[in-house]
Amino acid sequence: MDFRGILDRLQVVGAPGLLGHDLPRPPDPKDKKDKGRGGDPFVWVEPEKLPAFLECCRDDARLSLELLVDLSAVDPSKDDPNLWVVTHLLSLALRHRLEVKCALPKAAATMPSSASVHRGAQWHERECAEMFGITFRGHPDPRHILLPEDWIGFPLRKDYVFPDEYHGISCK
Amino acid sequence: MLTSMLAASVPQTGTNAINDFLAGVKPDYVPGWAVPLTAIGIAVGLTVAIISVVAMFSVWLERKVAGHIQCRYGPMRAGWHGWLQPIADGVKLLLKEDLVPLGADRVLYVLAPALVLASVLAAMSVYPLAPGFFFADIDLGIFFVLAMTSTTTIGVVMAGWSSNSKWSLYGAMREAAQVVAYEIPLGISLLVPIMVAGSFNLLEVSRAQTGFFGLNWYIWPWINPFMLPAFVLFFIAILAETKRAPFDLPEAESELVAGFMTEYSGIRWSFFFMEEYAAMFLYSVVGAFFFFGGFESPLTWGAAKLAGDGSVLHQVAAGTTLVVKGFAGVFLMMWLRWTLPRVRIDQVMTLGYKYLTPLALVCVLGAGLWEVFLTPILPWRHG
Amino acid sequence: MVETKDAQRTTADPGKREFMLDVRTQDMEVNMGPQHPATHGVMRILVRADGEVCTGAQPHLGYLHRCAEKIGENVEWLQYLPYTDRYDYLAAMNNNLGYSMAVEKLMGIEIPRRAMMIRTICAELNRIGSHLIAFGTYGLDIGAFTPFLYMFREREWMMALFEKICGARLTYSYIRIGGVFNDAPPGWLSEVERFCDVFEEKWHEYVDLLMVNHIFVQRTANIGVIPRAMALDFGLTGPMLRGSGVDWDLRRDMPYELYVEIWKSGCFQIPLGKGERGTLGDCWDRSYVRVMEMMESIQIVRWCLGSIASGPVIADIPKTIRVPNGEAYAGIENPRGELGHYVVSDGGKVAIRCRVRGPSFTNLAVLEEILPGALIADTIAIIGSTDIVVGETDR
Repeated sequence: MDFRGILDRLQVVGAPGLLGHDLPRPPDPKDKKDKGRGGDPFVWVEPEKLPAFLECCRDDARLSLELLVDLSAVDPSKDDPNLWVVTHLLSLALRHRLEVKCALPKAAATMPSSASVHRGAQWHERECAEMFGITFRGHPDPRHILLPEDWIGFPLRKDYVFPDEYHGISCK
Repeated sequence: MLTSMLAASVPQTGTNAINDFLAGVKPDYVPGWAVPLTAIGIAVGLTVAIISVVAMFSVWLERKVAGHIQCRYGPMRAGWHGWLQPIADGVKLLLKEDLVPLGADRVLYVLAPALVLASVLAAMSVYPLAPGFFFADIDLGIFFVLAMTSTTTIGVVMAGWSSNSKWSLYGAMREAAQVVAYEIPLGISLLVPIMVAGSFNLLEVSRAQTGFFGLNWYIWPWINPFMLPAFVLFFIAILAETKRAPFDLPEAESELVAGFMTEYSGIRWSFFFMEEYAAMFLYSVVGAFFFFGGFESPLTWGAAKLAGDGSVLHQVAAGTTLVVKGFAGVFLMMWLRWTLPRVRIDQVMTLGYKYLTPLALVCVLGAGLWEVFLTPILPWRHG
Repeated sequence: MVETKDAQRTTADPGKREFMLDVRTQDMEVNMGPQHPATHGVMRILVRADGEVCTGAQPHLGYLHRCAEKIGENVEWLQYLPYTDRYDYLAAMNNNLGYSMAVEKLMGIEIPRRAMMIRTICAELNRIGSHLIAFGTYGLDIGAFTPFLYMFREREWMMALFEKICGARLTYSYIRIGGVFNDAPPGWLSEVERFCDVFEEKWHEYVDLLMVNHIFVQRTANIGVIPRAMALDFGLTGPMLRGSGVDWDLRRDMPYELYVEIWKSGCFQIPLGKGERGTLGDCWDRSYVRVMEMMESIQIVRWCLGSIASGPVIADIPKTIRVPNGEAYAGIENPRGELGHYVVSDGGKVAIRCRVRGPSFTNLAVLEEILPGALIADTIAIIGSTDIVVGETDR
């Protein structure tokens, strides 16, 4: 199915947490400042309902989004109050993809873990947690995965300050 | 008094010959008891020398064989085609730092390689390298050899334990299990030629296979058709005993780093390797004695005809024949190592206990029945 | 016993202490790595073992973490290309391709046909090279030393081919945004054809020497079985997924570049694990898929050689690329699975986010599930069959 079809199906089955969608569009000729948006369409989902949403996508026969390809986060800019948690899903049976985005406020970056729905999300969430400072509630194994356990700060946030030294090794 | 006791207790051996020679040239101020001790010392020294040369040659052979099988040359720079490579390796190993890991059991750690090499040297002492050249001619020849080569296992387990490293321990445990399992088919399969020869003595077994341009060798099916299966079982068993691929789990490089030898470096490590190559050679020579005629070959026969039985030429020819046969076996073992992957430990044990042991027993039974019922009616088995 | 001393002496990172607290005293904790001949890179797997049986496994990553994603936010779009080479350094062409495709998707540009042909040839040749290493080192782990060297003979030729086309043997940066860096030198395409001919013969040698070798089959069959449901749950892709019998290959099912035409021409198949020598989804099946894929890649390369077009090899794009505002995801079939690049741009010279979805990272997670219950000797076989490159796991 194409994106329109998936969106319609999501609305028909009443997927929990579905807030809206965003389609690529060319720049508005009337507005000089508008850059337009290229690339892929995606759906906006409430962060608190993400696991339920993923479960619905997986279990519905017409959506059949069984594979969690990626779960990561984006910090759009220093000024943006939200982080985006982006999930890519893939359907093997129906050969389509879906991009799911959740807007998570930086001040309260906590959401439930999707590890119970897709086991593969476990490691992706660990990486998100350590890189962006997102807390995934209910995660079975919330240790750091790529960074050392005692690393301070969240490297992939735009306001990250590199440390001056780590265990006596100078980082300058 | 002590001298004569010592002399009387040991049967006529090569060591005795050295002893008599030394007694003849002994100056008066040297006490009587020093002579047998010196003789034994010289004999031991010669054994060590022979084993060292064998090990060094095997090291070179292994690297060249490995290289050529893998489409490359192997060592080429140290001497012509790398023949000085083992000497270079030996010098390097001697110059390495002698370390004992922290927390290792010092006594066992130092003793293990020594014990392993000593066992092999002891086994070597019973081998006749030529019909008249041996250190000890005992009637229990092969039995003694098998017993001594088995004591290397104690050394390996000591090495694994005393290294205080989990990887070494794994290697040592696997080694012990594997060696114990394959002792049985090894011993039982050797019973077939022992039955046919009627003796444990290596020299006598070799003499029983003389004549007819090698058609008297025990491997041929007209001597006893169970010899060939027995040899196959024997060969598989010695691959497992010497920890060679496909049974090289104890030193499984890619799994356990270096198994029980992980914590060893320098000359201590080289002791383990000398033991491995020496054991390969020794077992291969056992195979040569029992299945392939030992000293007998057209070359030996020719030398005996030319210069007489027991002459120097005959001895040299016989020795050369034996060494060539021994190294042919060694070459075969190396060839297999570089061709076949490794078998897992439980599969090794299954093979040893469930397949090889029953097959070995069947061979012995069959060979025995053949000997009793069919040998009297076969003309070539008389005389 | 030995383990208490060893356990105290190893590092005291909190994660490991937690793992140790619930260890029963008769279990032994064995550390595989970070330096270990068989872990395919700098990675540490903490294995809890009861004798020879593994009762728990915990991979520890991050030893090769080089902050590729953070760097992506600090360098220009084209400057990031060499960094893409370096995550899965055994299949660098494919990495370049994945990144370029994501950016091209966002820019909405069209790639000239000749460029696509050359890209496909390079990507498939690199797939062969990567599978040669995967299979060769797998043989090495199992104890067969020689096939590894034979396979490296072919890989040397492949690397020489790449050296002729772009100057590098391992990290190419050849497939660029808009096409490829420069055209193939004269004679290159006929040499690729010769390589295909020779490789087809040698392929049979590898199958005889290792694939169907009885000992190899005994060591890898019925081990590390990943059932279909587990594979989907973990998000596995590539030979890990196809080894479990799941018929999914991005080249056929979500085709990119020329794969629509190539699939229509019928020149290649998608090999699947069938449980021929053991259980469906065991280590042998995954190796089987990789070995068969090498042959299929040769067919794809031959097709491309047969229909090579002439023309420009790079689209007309400015030197300093400004990618329009937006975000795009492009997934390609890497030798190890689906390599996904998710790029977010705000219209500038530098990316806002350059997320790399590495197949090895996702594939590695399954070890926590399939290692418990296996023998220690099998642990190596299972880790080898996942075919991970730590550069991609850690980025």
